[in-house]
Amino acid sequence: MKSFNRRKLITASAMLAVTAMTVAAVPANAFSPKSEVGVTSKEIKLGVTLPMTGAASPGYNKVPAAMKAYFDYVNANGGVNGRKITLVVKDDQYVPTQAVAKTNELILKDKVFALVSPLGTANNKAVAASVNPGKRGVPVLFVNTGFSGFADSKKYPTTYALLPSYVMEAKIMAEYIKDNFAGKSIGLVYQDDDFGSDALAGFKSAGIKFATTVGYASGSQSASTAAGWVTKLKAANCDVVILFGVSSATAAGLGTAAALKYAPQWILGSVGGDATTIKASGVPAGVLYNAVGASFLPATTDTSDEYVALFQSIYSKAVPGSAFDNNVLVGMNSAFVTVQAIQAAGKNPTRKSLLAAIDSKGSTFASAALIPLNYSKTSHVGYNGYWFGKYSPTGDLKPDGGKYTVYTTDSGSGAVVKSTYKRPAMPAKGLPN
Amino acid sequence: MRKSSKKHSTQLSNKVRLLIFIVLGFLIYLLSNNVDELRVYQGAQVAFYVVGIASIILLTGYSGQVSLGQGALLGVGGYAAALSHLNWKLPIPLTFAVAILAAAGAGALLGIAAARLSGPYLAGATLALAVGLPSIANQFTALGGEQGLFFDVGFPPESLGEEFTQYKWFFWIASLATLIAIFWLQNVMRSRYGRTWKAIRGSEVAAELAGVNIARAKVLAFTLSAGLAGLAGALLAMTIGTVSPSAFPLALSFSLLTGAVLSGVTTLGGVMIGAVTLVALPEIVGTIVNRAGASEAVATNLPHIVMGTLLILTVVFVPNGPVEQMRSRRVKKEKSL
Amino acid sequence: MFQLINTLLIGITSGAIYALMALSIVLVWRSTRVINFAQAGQALTSTFIGFQTLKYVDSFWIALLVAMIGGAIISALIEISLMRVLLKHSSSGAIAGVAPIIATLGLLEVIQAVITLIWGGADSIITPPLSNTGFTIGTNTLVFSPMKLAIIGIVAALLILLSLIVQKTSIGLSLRAAAFSPELARLAGVRVDAVRTMGWALSGATGAVAGLLLVANGNGSFSTASIEFSLLLISGFIAAVIGGLESLLGAVIGGLALGIITAFVLMYISDSLFFIAPFVILLLVLFIRPQGILGKKGGRRA
Repeated sequence: MKSFNRRKLITASAMLAVTAMTVAAVPANAFSPKSEVGVTSKEIKLGVTLPMTGAASPGYNKVPAAMKAYFDYVNANGGVNGRKITLVVKDDQYVPTQAVAKTNELILKDKVFALVSPLGTANNKAVAASVNPGKRGVPVLFVNTGFSGFADSKKYPTTYALLPSYVMEAKIMAEYIKDNFAGKSIGLVYQDDDFGSDALAGFKSAGIKFATTVGYASGSQSASTAAGWVTKLKAANCDVVILFGVSSATAAGLGTAAALKYAPQWILGSVGGDATTIKASGVPAGVLYNAVGASFLPATTDTSDEYVALFQSIYSKAVPGSAFDNNVLVGMNSAFVTVQAIQAAGKNPTRKSLLAAIDSKGSTFASAALIPLNYSKTSHVGYNGYWFGKYSPTGDLKPDGGKYTVYTTDSGSGAVVKSTYKRPAMPAKGLPN
Repeated sequence: MRKSSKKHSTQLSNKVRLLIFIVLGFLIYLLSNNVDELRVYQGAQVAFYVVGIASIILLTGYSGQVSLGQGALLGVGGYAAALSHLNWKLPIPLTFAVAILAAAGAGALLGIAAARLSGPYLAGATLALAVGLPSIANQFTALGGEQGLFFDVGFPPESLGEEFTQYKWFFWIASLATLIAIFWLQNVMRSRYGRTWKAIRGSEVAAELAGVNIARAKVLAFTLSAGLAGLAGALLAMTIGTVSPSAFPLALSFSLLTGAVLSGVTTLGGVMIGAVTLVALPEIVGTIVNRAGASEAVATNLPHIVMGTLLILTVVFVPNGPVEQMRSRRVKKEKSL
Repeated sequence: MFQLINTLLIGITSGAIYALMALSIVLVWRSTRVINFAQAGQALTSTFIGFQTLKYVDSFWIALLVAMIGGAIISALIEISLMRVLLKHSSSGAIAGVAPIIATLGLLEVIQAVITLIWGGADSIITPPLSNTGFTIGTNTLVFSPMKLAIIGIVAALLILLSLIVQKTSIGLSLRAAAFSPELARLAGVRVDAVRTMGWALSGATGAVAGLLLVANGNGSFSTASIEFSLLLISGFIAAVIGGLESLLGAVIGGLALGIITAFVLMYISDSLFFIAPFVILLLVLFIRPQGILGKKGGRRA
């Protein structure tokens, strides 16, 4: 009797599974042979996965609203060839399993045209391996990570990198140190994972020697662990300290150093160097003063820059009260480049024509960055350079001598060179033409 | 109550049970041909949750021990599978075997430690394990650091046709592995060991008096449970194509425990309930929330509220799980007739 | 030399905060024989109560008081509405032993989701009431600051206060009786339910202090996703186990020991061992001296 019931139960739960899997089923896709997935006569649907909640979310969770703000601005001005752009946002909590599950939902259920700015190295790797957008022909535009591997167009044929890689950043930073701080004793604080090890590789190839290094475990950064870093750096008599970590690590390091009256020459990596995020975490702006920072976009406070001025006015109307920081600028710039890519893909864009358009015209796309994009048929490298500056007493990054001096390099053993690129004027009203 | 109901029930012979599993496998096969790719993918998720939950049921339900660190053992399995595939080029079935053995080994160690502990101490120790173990991957470059390692089981054989998707292939592999694992687990439960564990769960003192080596029985439960967790980890790694520390977070351990409690930890009969809930609930709630026009924050957090509440309610009102509850109610009714 | 001293001071301050969490865990354990894994979530909720209070009043210390009261009320409500029912319903059955653990985990999940819905997204800031700038001796700066001294003072005061409550009043005896043998205690005239609720309330208030001081020890920023709060739970638990889980003094010694050992490991071995070190310490304690530093022998197999 009992075993019979068990059998019934197993069957019943199997049935439950079947029902659950079909109940929430997708409405039959209104599939007409002419149009591409995610493209209708009125709309183009894009998708993004990133941490909106959880430990990794602060800062990054501002990106989707920033992207939407620009898309809505374009939509209000007629859209792209008459089509409005919508963005479906999914929270992956920075867990690869979730990223894969949510990306599957985006592609298979929401049927998005392309993925835009998905965030995180481990997550993007898992998505590339499991969902395999390359095989499906789904474009993955402008991944939000500095892992150099995604620029490999053979391995990830539909994926495009955007940010300069961590290796590039470290190489350029090394050049800056050689030019400005030769002979000084140098310390390094880095995140003890691939983010940090990429940077270590870059510094090593540039021949930088460190008096001491502090490799903190990701997630362990806090005022009390930072007191340990500072004690160690002090004991090694470091004159110059590179803080190559995330924003919370920069904030903990600078805040604690100020409390312990330790004032070396700080050099901040671009990931953790966003002044707004640092200030938002309770560290007074003053501790940033005179630190060296790097960026590939114009300074977020540089309202004389036409892109910054326009993006700021769009963002402040769309998300009132939210600070215009580097996360916002990166998000809006990605949206800006995305719109141009779709525009370049023709009157009736398809995934194929989108990829072809980026390969052939990507290097001519306008963008807020002070370096050109490097897309071609053989390269999916986006930006490849940085400019350096110092933070003002109010904690704003300003270029050295008031002028952006940009250096470029590659993720390999190539040299670091001064860029001669002059950014073309912004398209009228910031709309693609 | 369990024991008395056991006496007047007829045991199904192994042959009949095998037949049932084969029929079940055939049903899954039919199912896989009739749903779209997303559902097939979710089916693969359900499969690894079933194995993961079964590993907790074996441990908690049958030996009365609780582990909050099952996710870490899944991690051991996942990494073992990926490493053996990358470094030794082992075929996929063998990587699964390596995953099971590696996790079982880790589980044996944990079990020896756990035999000295109980209740809250064990819970706390395994919790610390779940937090500490994944970060080890960052200490050794061979483990691929934060971005992890690839685990590519390859494309489906061409003989299955052009239309055959990758996820259907994952689903088939995962379902087959799960059916075999559950069949084997049922056999273990019906063996001498299964009876020993039940006796310990009933009363440790009585079992000891009856001559049961409690420590050994507990270590064995931990080892077998960990082996199952290792298989679940390999299946998880297969469905996401990679292993990385962030793929095995503390939340995974909690999810598995939640799934096990919702399924009922005293019997394998309800194992699908928890697994399906874990996969379906977030999507169902998300769909409802999106229709209602609420924000993404609500869509991600509401499932947690629902899941946590379900967990609490189950523990308070149906501690033995829905299946056992129904059964005991029926037994009562039969008696009163 | 100063490196050594500072390492010790770093360990003492972070250890003091672990100690608070350990006290909170011990109070619940002593009153109901339950490890409350939702404690970190409750502490975070109390911290947000303090944060909310600071929008209306200007004093950190008043906010701390309000947070303590809020934390105590929440904790008492959990005991009344959940734990009491739970202990009644699942006193037998297969998972009776682990049911409370699982229930508090479910509670943790609910609490985290709810506070994320209310306060999620942005960083919140509580400005520390005292300076965090270290004292200077000659050319060297110590890791000790007025704020850190205050933290240590508060921990010491709480330890004394709680010890007095537990040892010198009848509450302590009742707590013991209520936890070990509720039936006998009831017969002896102890109001078991009230005593248990009292234990939870004290624990909630202590947890609130831990949360607010954790934030004040740093730059003052925290969020619903603060990883420090989940770590606080684990550190607090390990500290409580080192101390033997029964003793208030043991909890504080355990917290300090954990803080100091971790600080030395990070300084002199590797900064990357942050998550592994506490786990190894826990395992060593469980194997070498399973009854904890101040625990009595044979008390471990609860």
